[in-house]
Amino acid sequence: MSFAVDNSTYLLLLLIAPAMWLWSYRSLAGLGGMRRILALTLRTLVLAAIVFALADMQFRKSSDRLTVIYLLDQSQSIPAEQREAMAKFVNATVRENRQDDKLDRAGVIVFGREAEVELPPVDFAYELPRVESLVDPTYTNLEAALQKAMSLFPADSAKRVVIVTDGNENMGDALREARAMADAGVSIDVLPAPINRRSEVRVDKVALPADVRRGEPFELRVVVDHDTTGAGKAKGKLRIIRKHGQQETTLSEAPVELSSGKNVFTVSETIEESDFYTYEARFVPDDKSTDASEQNNLATAFTHVRGKGQVLVIEDWEHPGEFDYLVQRLRSEGIEVTLSQSNQLFTSLPELQRYDCVVLANTPRSSGFGGDDGQVDTDTLSGFSDAQIEMLVRNTEELGCGLVMLGGDRSFGAGGWERTALEKAMPLDFQIKSAKVTPVGALAMIMHASEIAQGNYWQKRIAVEAIDALGARDYCGLLQWNGNEQWLWGQSQGGMIPVGPNRGSMKARVDRLVVGDMPDFDPGMKKAAAAFAGLTNPVPALKHMIIISDGDPTPPSGATIAALKRMSVKVTTVAVGAHGPPGHQTMQNIANQTGGKYYVVRNASALPKIYQREARRVARPLVKELEPALAPRLSTRHAIVDGIGDEFPPLSGFVMTTVKDSSLVEVILRSPEPPNAENSAVLASWTYGLGKVAAMTTDAGHRWANDWTAWGQYDRFYSQLIRWAMRPTGETGNFTIATEVGDGKTRVVIDALDKDEEFLNVASLTGVAVSPEMKSVPLVINQVAPGRYVGEFESDTSGSYMIAINAGGEQGLIRTGVSVGYSDEFRDRTTNTPLLETLAKLPAKGGEPGKLISAEAKVEFTGEERVIEPLAKVNSYRRDLPPAVASQPIWPLLVLLGSCVFFADVFIRRVQVGFEWLAPLWQKFATVVLRRQPVEAAPETMSRLRSRKREVQKSLEARQTETRLEIDETRAPTTSPLNELKQGPTAKREPAKPPAAEPKPDEKQDDYTSRLLKAKRDAKRKREE
Amino acid sequence: MAAADNIDRRRFLAACGLASAASYFVGCTPSAAANDFGELDLVWSRQGLAPGRLQKPRAMAIDAQDRIYIVDFTARVQVFDPDGKFLLGWKTPASKDGRPTGISIDADGTVMVADTHYYRVLFYTPEGKLLEERTIGGTVGSAPGEFGFVTDAVRAPDGSLFVSEYSQNDRIQKFAPDGSHLLQWGEPGSGPGEFRRPQSLLLDGQGQLVVSDSCNHRLQIFDQQGSHLATWANEGSGRGELYYPYGLTADATGNMYVCEYGNHRVQKFGSDGKSLGIWGRQGRQPGELWDPWAVVVDSAGRLHVLDTGNHRVQRIVM
Repeated sequence: MSFAVDNSTYLLLLLIAPAMWLWSYRSLAGLGGMRRILALTLRTLVLAAIVFALADMQFRKSSDRLTVIYLLDQSQSIPAEQREAMAKFVNATVRENRQDDKLDRAGVIVFGREAEVELPPVDFAYELPRVESLVDPTYTNLEAALQKAMSLFPADSAKRVVIVTDGNENMGDALREARAMADAGVSIDVLPAPINRRSEVRVDKVALPADVRRGEPFELRVVVDHDTTGAGKAKGKLRIIRKHGQQETTLSEAPVELSSGKNVFTVSETIEESDFYTYEARFVPDDKSTDASEQNNLATAFTHVRGKGQVLVIEDWEHPGEFDYLVQRLRSEGIEVTLSQSNQLFTSLPELQRYDCVVLANTPRSSGFGGDDGQVDTDTLSGFSDAQIEMLVRNTEELGCGLVMLGGDRSFGAGGWERTALEKAMPLDFQIKSAKVTPVGALAMIMHASEIAQGNYWQKRIAVEAIDALGARDYCGLLQWNGNEQWLWGQSQGGMIPVGPNRGSMKARVDRLVVGDMPDFDPGMKKAAAAFAGLTNPVPALKHMIIISDGDPTPPSGATIAALKRMSVKVTTVAVGAHGPPGHQTMQNIANQTGGKYYVVRNASALPKIYQREARRVARPLVKELEPALAPRLSTRHAIVDGIGDEFPPLSGFVMTTVKDSSLVEVILRSPEPPNAENSAVLASWTYGLGKVAAMTTDAGHRWANDWTAWGQYDRFYSQLIRWAMRPTGETGNFTIATEVGDGKTRVVIDALDKDEEFLNVASLTGVAVSPEMKSVPLVINQVAPGRYVGEFESDTSGSYMIAINAGGEQGLIRTGVSVGYSDEFRDRTTNTPLLETLAKLPAKGGEPGKLISAEAKVEFTGEERVIEPLAKVNSYRRDLPPAVASQPIWPLLVLLGSCVFFADVFIRRVQVGFEWLAPLWQKFATVVLRRQPVEAAPETMSRLRSRKREVQKSLEARQTETRLEIDETRAPTTSPLNELKQGPTAKREPAKPPAAEPKPDEKQDDYTSRLLKAKRDAKRKREE
Repeated sequence: MAAADNIDRRRFLAACGLASAASYFVGCTPSAAANDFGELDLVWSRQGLAPGRLQKPRAMAIDAQDRIYIVDFTARVQVFDPDGKFLLGWKTPASKDGRPTGISIDADGTVMVADTHYYRVLFYTPEGKLLEERTIGGTVGSAPGEFGFVTDAVRAPDGSLFVSEYSQNDRIQKFAPDGSHLLQWGEPGSGPGEFRRPQSLLLDGQGQLVVSDSCNHRLQIFDQQGSHLATWANEGSGRGELYYPYGLTADATGNMYVCEYGNHRVQKFGSDGKSLGIWGRQGRQPGELWDPWAVVVDSAGRLHVLDTGNHRVQRIVM
């Protein structure tokens, strides 16, 4: 235990002290000895407290505690058995070496591409059953793991990391981070995971010629690399397949024998149809031991042969056939249409490349919910993931594909598409901003999902989903149990408030949500019912409640259910981790009694879909039914309605939206109702990035546009709509694109020839690549020679990159793809011993260097059971590090102390403390507590006073004798106040009266002083005489 | 004028002095006045999965040897001495559907666990051996011998067993010593003899069955034939009022202690039903409680409160 200062320069201020003493010693002279010393001391203390506070004095406590964090490499370059044995090693070494009496802590971090905390540092022996955190195993990022460990170390103990890895890092710089850690006093032990050099096969690439044309044969080459220590050959099968659309053709599947080094296989291939083609080559070894890792046995290549356009129509799988008529009419107009259902969606961007236009036909964002009530099992739910929505948007924005959304009661805002990336790509916003046209809804959520795994995380997510799905004017409230039922926001306004102005603050509050274990449904539901009843301005048209719970609170009373039914509040219940039949029964009863839905959630990841959907029920008023049907009006002339005229058949409904505030948006058709032009768009279009986007808010003839199917212009209208949106497909110039991958970059080389095979010099070629994570990667293209253009982009993530190059003008878009096969993780096949040795040799500041555990134990970490014990004998909890010092700043205490002492200083100087009150207090104490006679005290005091008086009198007389001056003996006693005491305490005091024969004033003054003055005057007169 | 000024200043200073003194005392009042009985003696255990630590413990019982049995959210039954020293532990056979919320001790020392979400009462030896043949219930339903969510079980001196349950049925069932069903009473509701979540049972010194009728925020007293004798307290946070009463226990003199889940406190009642004071308030500090579920009295008359939300036990000396 000690004290230290952080900024010692301030200590120089203590030099003021001697000057202060000098100055104060004089100025405090009037105080008398003791008080002066005391005041000086206090003043010095104040100065010291202020100076120490300025210097940031800290209280330091050293501790013998040690924290060891194990960093376990879970990347795929390490064989699986070694990865699995890491947990066993940790358990064994913690069991063996951790000193429980010193409260040592052990923590575990696992890492691959990123680092995750498997076990935060804990001071008891926790046996890790296995590694459970999921990390991307295709990379090794030791630096991230070291950084995470650094952030996890508690301050009050010495620190050590034990790294178990093969050292083949392919992201970050571990050595730099390790040096910084060693400087900060962290010791580093390393247990190398040995990798035996084994024979390895990898499919390097599938090479296609740059200028593949329809009907012309070409050679497809597959390069397979065989890396082996000896001259042995690897046997296996090489399978080459071609994919386009749903079709998959095997081009070759033959046994091959690989020699050491590069092996090239060639297949002759001809493409007959224009389409977007994917070629895949996979090597399957006969003997798995000849191939160290299988992950690098696949390579992919793409080519695009331009031709007739293709359209993908996606319809809702729960309502199949609604768009059959449209599809049939489009086909009759010569458009190639593929009809697909929303539960069998595309999974990657390359899959979408064969289509030049994607049509979402009355498809909700998620489906499988059945009708408005009844039971739903989450296993049936399906829908567009955020990644799939992102693919659709990127496909349009960067790759120029057309995107058309066709209406119906499950589309646009009514289909749950609001606040998605798709809404951004559309010319219409899916929310209604105008207050006049739409009724409002109200949603109350009761949260009781605390008992499921990660319950609080899910509650936060679903609350945010619901808030996002609601319209600006809709009411929203969230009830939680924390000792009692509380609204999360708007308590003073009844708990349910409009979402619009509060969306941000609602989400912020959700972020702090912590929900307790609710014992009873009834009070919360009553509270919500009261809140619904209080919503009067405006009155919500739809009232909805969602309860998420495990079903074990006490069921609500009949009166509460009746009150909710009276107000037409539908209650949807979501059973999560429900406790068997009684819990389910409670939840199901609530839903049945109020007409809500009952969800059985088997997988929590379905929850956001449920909340989107349920919140959407509140936002349902977006559907506008027209009674009677009204014909839409043409508001802008446009290519889509070219040659169709001004008259359109009537519509009986559409989905209301808000036209985006952008000059690029063209509203082509509008409904006469509602009169508000902003919300009545039936057909609108714009260009989004490189693609064209159209939104038709009514359906294609199933329900609202029945009259349209009989309309003579139906085929023309829809074919023109689709054709307008489609990516231009004409074969124009002659471009060949070659791609080359290496060093984390992809090089794109474009050769441009015009129709006469002359070099084509384009003013500017622009390009973009879409990464496997759906991010746009800019591609800058420069002309390097006549007709030759070269660009390059970063491609360090494995997966498919789609590339689009815009040649401008009539040339249209040139597309291709490139596959970056596998990460460097599968390239390194020996342990990076030099790095690991360097790490272990770094000396921790003030302590010893770390240990190379396998060298110390003289056994390698092969993953076998028998090696665990000797490895665990190497003590990572050894005390060779300086003890940790925990420091706590104490300046606030010093300031407080200084203020108190300052007060004392002022007090000492200004107030003279007398102790006269002590005697009477003692007297009182003696009388009351000790029961002594009080009467004795008074005479004692009196006699003391009298004796004192006598003494004073004597000394006075003595002096009078000395001065030889006559004193009027009779006057002196009367002037003394003590005279009165002679008469006793009860004697009445007589008013002082002048004696009968009063002397004259000048005689009356004839006392000692006046006589002195008189003598002086006389002497003066004599001198003058 | 000078004199008047003087007086004013003195008055002012006196007022300041009084005010600061008053504020000092006011500041002290809540903690001083919160506990009407008992003083905090010991706080033991903390959150964790290691043996001896607790994860949201929800029920507690004490045997004649003062060994404390606690069942927590991981379905572990752990046994401690009155000072919180871990003695032994075991797990219930299944816990996927939910964990037990009740535990009590038979006259012969058998541990009875209300395995709430498996609709049954489990019997264990004090060493943790499951006595499978003695298990009562296991079937969900409303017929005699079937259960909804079982909350508690107590044994009368004559060997008959009372079991409480909620959800589908809010009722008490009585079983003979051999496990056969004798009688049952109660249904969902707020009237006398009706329940909303009978969470805990206690047989008092006079052989009366006290039921903490949690969601009705009251205690109901019955004789052993199920006749309603009295109702104590109503909803609230004041003295003599209850808010989600959960665990019950009684001391040697017949005073009763009720753990209030919703009020985060323990309330003491005389045998006449009169409130004799409260202990604790919501908080995380020693002497404060968070969602307490259960309370027991040891042979030395000390009160142990299961501080569920704080994953610990607090011991109070009277």
